[in-house]
Amino acid sequence: MRVVVAEDLFLLRDGLVRLVEAYGHTVVAAVGSGPEALDALLTHRPDVAIVDVRLPPTFSDEGLQAALAARRQIPGLPVLILSQHVEQLYARELLADERGGIGYQLKDRVLDADQFTDALQRVADGGTALDPTVVAKLLGRPTRVDPLAALTDRERSVLELMAEGLSNAAIAARLFLSEGAISKYTTSIFAKLGIAAADDTNRRVRAVLAYLDGSGA
Amino acid sequence: MTGSAEVGPARWARAVGHGLYRSAVVTGVTGVLPAIAVPVAFFGFRFARTWSADLSAPLAVLVLVFVGEIAMTLLWTGAAGWFVVAFLGRPLSRAARWAARRWLGVTVEPRYNPVLPVTRMATGFWWNGYAYHESEREARRRASLDARHHDPQLRRDALWLLVAAVTVLPAAAAPLACLAAGGYLLTQAGLLGCGIALCVVGLAAAPFGWRLLGPLGVRLLGASPRSLGRRVEELEAIRADLTQNQAAELERIERGLHDGAQARLVALGMSMGAAERLVDEDPDKAKQILAQARSSSAAALAELRSLVRGINPPVLAERGLVDAVRALALDAALPVEVRSTVPARPERPVESAMYFAVAELLANAVKHARASRVEIDLDYGERVLTATVTDDGVGGIGAAATEPGGTPPGTRPAGSQQAGSGSAGSGQAGSGLAGIERRMAAFGGVLRIDSPAGGPSRITVAVPCALS
Repeated sequence: MRVVVAEDLFLLRDGLVRLVEAYGHTVVAAVGSGPEALDALLTHRPDVAIVDVRLPPTFSDEGLQAALAARRQIPGLPVLILSQHVEQLYARELLADERGGIGYQLKDRVLDADQFTDALQRVADGGTALDPTVVAKLLGRPTRVDPLAALTDRERSVLELMAEGLSNAAIAARLFLSEGAISKYTTSIFAKLGIAAADDTNRRVRAVLAYLDGSGA
Repeated sequence: MTGSAEVGPARWARAVGHGLYRSAVVTGVTGVLPAIAVPVAFFGFRFARTWSADLSAPLAVLVLVFVGEIAMTLLWTGAAGWFVVAFLGRPLSRAARWAARRWLGVTVEPRYNPVLPVTRMATGFWWNGYAYHESEREARRRASLDARHHDPQLRRDALWLLVAAVTVLPAAAAPLACLAAGGYLLTQAGLLGCGIALCVVGLAAAPFGWRLLGPLGVRLLGASPRSLGRRVEELEAIRADLTQNQAAELERIERGLHDGAQARLVALGMSMGAAERLVDEDPDKAKQILAQARSSSAAALAELRSLVRGINPPVLAERGLVDAVRALALDAALPVEVRSTVPARPERPVESAMYFAVAELLANAVKHARASRVEIDLDYGERVLTATVTDDGVGGIGAAATEPGGTPPGTRPAGSQQAGSGSAGSGQAGSGLAGIERRMAAFGGVLRIDSPAGGPSRITVAVPCALS
């Protein structure tokens, strides 16, 4: 895969480049500021980009704005956003165009190289990779009629992993269950939440988030 | 196109109509005091004169009697004026403020004494913020009366009524008087010209006379300019609060770093050392220790993150107040609606203070008010940033916290004691509000609470600031 890395801290940028290259991908550009990031995204059109939310020159949400701007010009351009903190607000903005290919993870997740590259791959394939923290916040939102109340504990944990963007096989592996059991759970979740089932992981997440959005405040 | 396309005569007619109406209202609002005081003085003097009507005495005695009669008349007139001010001063001034704001865009903020909660003093007496009473019932019953009686704003209102009676009243009433006189002359044969002239003068003056309300209202309708001594006292209290807050904040941050991240880093270093020693003899054990070390570093990061959130929330730093409040609303345990008309980012210190105030108000609504939904409005106008938090909860939030400087001297001695005494009647939510009030006071901001028992509650934080 061809990867663009945008991160202002030299050590972390260097580490990310090494990590990505260690898994056999090519880093086509490693940049350290917002305008450079937007430029690199538009000229290289990478298979996936890793972008820090906070970048120079303003050290506000330059990285996020660059990613959103690039995706407006190249719809569905896969971007994995890294941040020191995760916010529902930003997750919603990223997911708003409903095109998939979005990752939003805490920087801490880089510590677990396997999971991180797994998330990177999911984003590159057009799926979503949301940080468990933000998923928990999204699912923990108050709703007028709580549709999640109808779910069993097991179904709820399956839903959480689904919202992170995992496939049935990956969920099965996490929960130490068979894939068949998971697909039974997902069917039951979709039935209880009134969502038409679909194979596509990306569409599953969108369906879940859209449902929570619609029934929320 | 109706407004600008309107032709001259029609516009004039409208201006004159408005002018007459407003002149009448302003005359009514400012004329009450003279309307009562002048007849009292006139008939009072006539009545007093009857005492010495058939008196025949030396001149010196007559002069003395005359002086006594005048003094009596003044006494009666003063009493009448006092009654007007005591019972009608507030509504009359409020009406004048309303007219000034509505018609002239002049906004003046009065500062009436708030009714404070009743607290029991160590001496056994009950203190309602202005006076001591023997029983709680008496203290409560007298609370609003005492607040009014000790109110410096009431003296301002009296001054306004007196000054307005000799300035605004004649100016506003003159056109009406001209019209009335002109109308009367029209009915008299031979004075038709004079009548018409007077009517025209009255009509032409109608749109202007009452406008004297603006410049005078600005000076007299607002809160009394505080004496320098009073101001120094307030600033001293604010400074004491600031220093104390700052020390407490530093301590909190230090503790957070010391007990959290620092301890974890020490543990991390120790684990690494252990792993280093074990890596040759017992690689499996070393791997296990390293895995622990990694999770420990993740925990240290999480702790740092929450610490940073308490000092300078990331969304606030990145996006500013409005989005930070939106992010806060999304994370709340209740449905929260955020509306904003703030066009740009306020100054950073104000922004931060405002954010934490809103965060605290929202937390109060969630924790104490038993609300089912909350609305947050952020507005900016006339160089003032306001945040209004409305909830549909149980209400009855302590009336303890009120506008700084609105309380008479003595009720809030200074600094830290405010939190204690202020929250006496209102529990936890009240002490939080007192904290917000003190933090906003440092920026010249105010806190307004409208929370009747049974709800709904509406709390407004307003602070003057510039936008970047």
